[in-house]
Amino acid sequence: MKKICSNSRLVVLILMCIVLTAATGGKFFTYSNFVSIMYSISLTGIMICGAAFPVLLGGIDRTVSGNAAVCGAMAATVALHFNQTNMGAVLALLCGVACGMLSGFFHGIVLSRFAIPAFLLTLATNEVLYGIVQFITGNQLINVLNCELMNQIGQARFWGIPIPVYILLICFVVCYVILNHTVYGRQIYAVGGNREAAELSGIPTRRVIILAYTISGFMGALSGFVLSCMNRQASAAQAQGYENDVLAAIVVGGISLRGGAGTLQGAMLGAILIGVLTNGLRLLGIDSIYHNLIKGVIILAAIAWDMLSAARKSGMAKIALEK
Amino acid sequence: MDRDILLEMKNIEKIFAHVHALDCVNFQVRKGEVHALLGENGAGKSTLIKILTGVYPKDGGRILMEGKEVKLASREDAAALGISVIFQELSLVPTLSVYQNIMLGKELSCFGFIKAKQEKKKIADLISYYGFSLGVNEIVENLSVAQMQMVEILKALACDAKLIIMDEPTASLSSHESKLLFKIINQLRERGVSIVYISHRLEEVFHLSDRITILRDGKNEGVVEKDQIVPAEIIRMMIGKSVSEATASRVLQKSEEKTILSVQHLSCLGAYEDVSFEVKRGEVLVLTGLVGSGRTEIIRAIYGADAYDSGKIELEGKAYQPQIKKAVAAGFGLIPEDRRTQGFSPLLSVSKNVALTNYDKLSQKGFVNKADEDRLGHHVAELVDLRPPNPNVFVGNLSGGNQQKVVLGKWLTRNLKVMLIDEPTVGIDIGAKNEIYELIEGLSQNGVAVLMVSSDIAEVLRVAHRILVMREGKIAKEFDAGIVTQEDILMASSGFEAEGEEE
Repeated sequence: MKKICSNSRLVVLILMCIVLTAATGGKFFTYSNFVSIMYSISLTGIMICGAAFPVLLGGIDRTVSGNAAVCGAMAATVALHFNQTNMGAVLALLCGVACGMLSGFFHGIVLSRFAIPAFLLTLATNEVLYGIVQFITGNQLINVLNCELMNQIGQARFWGIPIPVYILLICFVVCYVILNHTVYGRQIYAVGGNREAAELSGIPTRRVIILAYTISGFMGALSGFVLSCMNRQASAAQAQGYENDVLAAIVVGGISLRGGAGTLQGAMLGAILIGVLTNGLRLLGIDSIYHNLIKGVIILAAIAWDMLSAARKSGMAKIALEK
Repeated sequence: MDRDILLEMKNIEKIFAHVHALDCVNFQVRKGEVHALLGENGAGKSTLIKILTGVYPKDGGRILMEGKEVKLASREDAAALGISVIFQELSLVPTLSVYQNIMLGKELSCFGFIKAKQEKKKIADLISYYGFSLGVNEIVENLSVAQMQMVEILKALACDAKLIIMDEPTASLSSHESKLLFKIINQLRERGVSIVYISHRLEEVFHLSDRITILRDGKNEGVVEKDQIVPAEIIRMMIGKSVSEATASRVLQKSEEKTILSVQHLSCLGAYEDVSFEVKRGEVLVLTGLVGSGRTEIIRAIYGADAYDSGKIELEGKAYQPQIKKAVAAGFGLIPEDRRTQGFSPLLSVSKNVALTNYDKLSQKGFVNKADEDRLGHHVAELVDLRPPNPNVFVGNLSGGNQQKVVLGKWLTRNLKVMLIDEPTVGIDIGAKNEIYELIEGLSQNGVAVLMVSSDIAEVLRVAHRILVMREGKIAKEFDAGIVTQEDILMASSGFEAEGEEE
C-alpha cells in the first residue's frame, strides 16, 4: 500500500478512474472500455518501448513516427509485390522493420560519434524520412486490402483483446527485462547518468548508444507495421505527430530528459494516464475541440509536480546532511 | 628490500612538441606505502600519472610492476595490472546505486542477465572487509562528497587494485570528511595497498606520506623519507627558491586608519552567533577556522547574498542594510567561495567577465560601449598579469590561477571600499597563489578594507594583518599577525588550547 502511495502517478491514475467511473455512471468501468483504452494506446505504447532507450541515454528520438511511416510504406509495397500472400506479409514485416533499424542505426552512429544534439538531428531526419515516404508512395495511399495475415493482425481479437495490445505487452515485457535485468540495461542507465564515468569504467559507450537508437528504430517501425495492418493501407503521412504523444507520455511517466533516471513502467503508466484521460473526456461528452487544451494542461501539471517533488527531495537531503 | 617494491618507473621520458615534459624521471612505490608526488602545476605530475595509467605513451624509459617489465598502452592495461585512479572530478554515475556503480563495467552476469543478488553480496562483503560505512543500495547522488569518494575507492578495490592514485582527493572535502579519508587511507595501507597521493595541501601530505617524490620542471628534484621531512626544505625543492624571502616581504602596518566596515553582534541561527569585528582602511582581516565554522556565511551576509537574523552592520560609520542589488554600488566586491560556479561565466571572454561588474561605467542608456569594454579588458589583463595576456579568450579555457585573477580583476578598477574574499587560492599552484596575494596586498595598499576567509594557514599568515579564528559559529580568538604561529591558529580553531595539546 505504501509503495502504491509513493508512486504519485499510480495514485493519480486510480483517482482519475474513480472520478470517471462516478461521473460516467459506470460506463467507464467496464471490461470493454479498458480494452478500448489499451487498444488506443497500443501504437504509441510500442513506440514508447523503443523511444525510452534514447531518452534514458540523455538523448531523444523524434524519428519514431518517421520510422513508422517508412516501415508502413515499405511493408505495403512489398506485400503488394508478393500479391498479398501471407509469405509476402512476413517479408513485408521484415523489410519494414529492417528499414526502421537501419534508420536507428544511422542515428546511433552519428549521435555516438559527433556532439550533435539528438533533438536537432532527429528533428531534421524525421522530415527526411517523411520525404522518403512521399517518394515511395508517390504521395498516394497504398491499399493492402486482401492480405489475410495483415488483416488478422489489424482486426483480430483473441479472448476479446485486439492483437496490437498483445504485441504491446510482449514489447513491454521484453524491453522491461532488457532495461532491468541485463548488463545492457545497466549500461544504458550508466551512460545516461554520466557518459564519461561509464567510459572510464570500460563500457563501450558508442555501442550502447548505437544499439539504443536501433531498438528505438525497430519499435517505431513495428508500430508502423501494426498501424498499416489496422488501416489496411500505408499513407505518406502515416503516424505523423505520434512522436509528440510518445515524448509526452515519457515525460509524464517521469523519465528524466537529462537521462539516467526513470523507468519503462513509469513511461507506460504515463501513456495509460493520457489514454484514460482522452477516453474519459470522450465518455463525458466533452467537445473534442477542448481535448488538446486539457491534455496539454495535464502534461504541464505533471512536469511541475515532478520538479516540485524533486526540489523538495533535494532540500530534505540538504537538511539531512547538515544534521 | 627489493621484494617490497611494487612499481618502478625508470628514466621516463615524455616530449610534447619538442618540450621535455618529463626528463629522465624515476619513480618508485613500495607495497603498502603512501607515496606523495609533489610539484607545482606543470612540474610533470599529471603527465607521469597519465603514463602510469596508460593514457599517454611514454617516449623512453621502463616501467616495472613487481619486478617485471610491463606495457601500458591503455587504461585497460593499467587496470589489469591493478593500477587505479581516483579522479579529482568524481567519475561516478549519480543516478545509479552504490553497488551498481562499483560493479560498472564488470557486472556479474549470465548470458547478459545481471545477477543482482550476488553483486550486492559481493559489494557488502567488500565494504565490511575495509570497514567503511556505506549502504549498497544507496543512490550515489544522495551521498556526501566523502562517501562518493569511498565508492570510488571501492570501485578500485573491487578490481583488486594494488596501487591507487589519488589526485587532490581532499579538494572538495570538509576537514571532518578529510579525516575520514585519512582513516581510510591508513586502512588501505594496512591491507597492503599502495597509494600515490597528489595534493596541493602540503600539511596533509606531510602528515600522511611514507615517502615523497618531488618533481620540478619535469625532472626529479628528490625523494624524501618520512623521518626526513622538513616542510621548508620540501617547499624549496618544489619552487626552487626559499619561501622565507617571499613571506618576509610582508610589511606589518599597525593601522591607525579609520574604520570602514563594522559588524556588531551579527547572528544567524545555525550558522554563526554574536559575531563582532571591525575592518579598518587598508587592513586585511582574515577569518579562519575549520570549514563549517560560519565564516563563509558571514561574508555572504555582509554582501547581502544571504539573510541574517540579528545584529548591525555599519559602513563608514553609517548603518548599512545589506542587499545584494546595491552591494556593488555601495563599494563592496566579492570573490566567492567556488569560482567555477559562482565566480565567472566560463563561456564569456575575459573582457566580458570583467565588464559584468562595470556596466555602470561601460554603458549609456542601456547600450554597451564595445570599445570601452575592450579597453577595460586589456587594462585588467595587464593589471593582473593574465597568461595568455589575451582578454578575448573564454575564461573557461584558462587555468585555475588565471580564472581567479579574472574574478579578482573585475573589481580592481572600481572604487572599492570593502573587498570580501572567500578561499581565493583553492586548487591553485604556488606561483599563481603568490600573484593573487600580491594583488590582495595591492588592494590593501590602495586603502581597501579586505575581509578574507581562508583555511590555508600558510596563506593566512602570509596576507593577514589581523586574524580572527572562528569555532562553531563564534569568534574563538583574535591574533595580530607577526606574533602568531601555525600551531596557535590550529589549536584555537580545533578548541584544544585549554588542554594545551593537539589531537
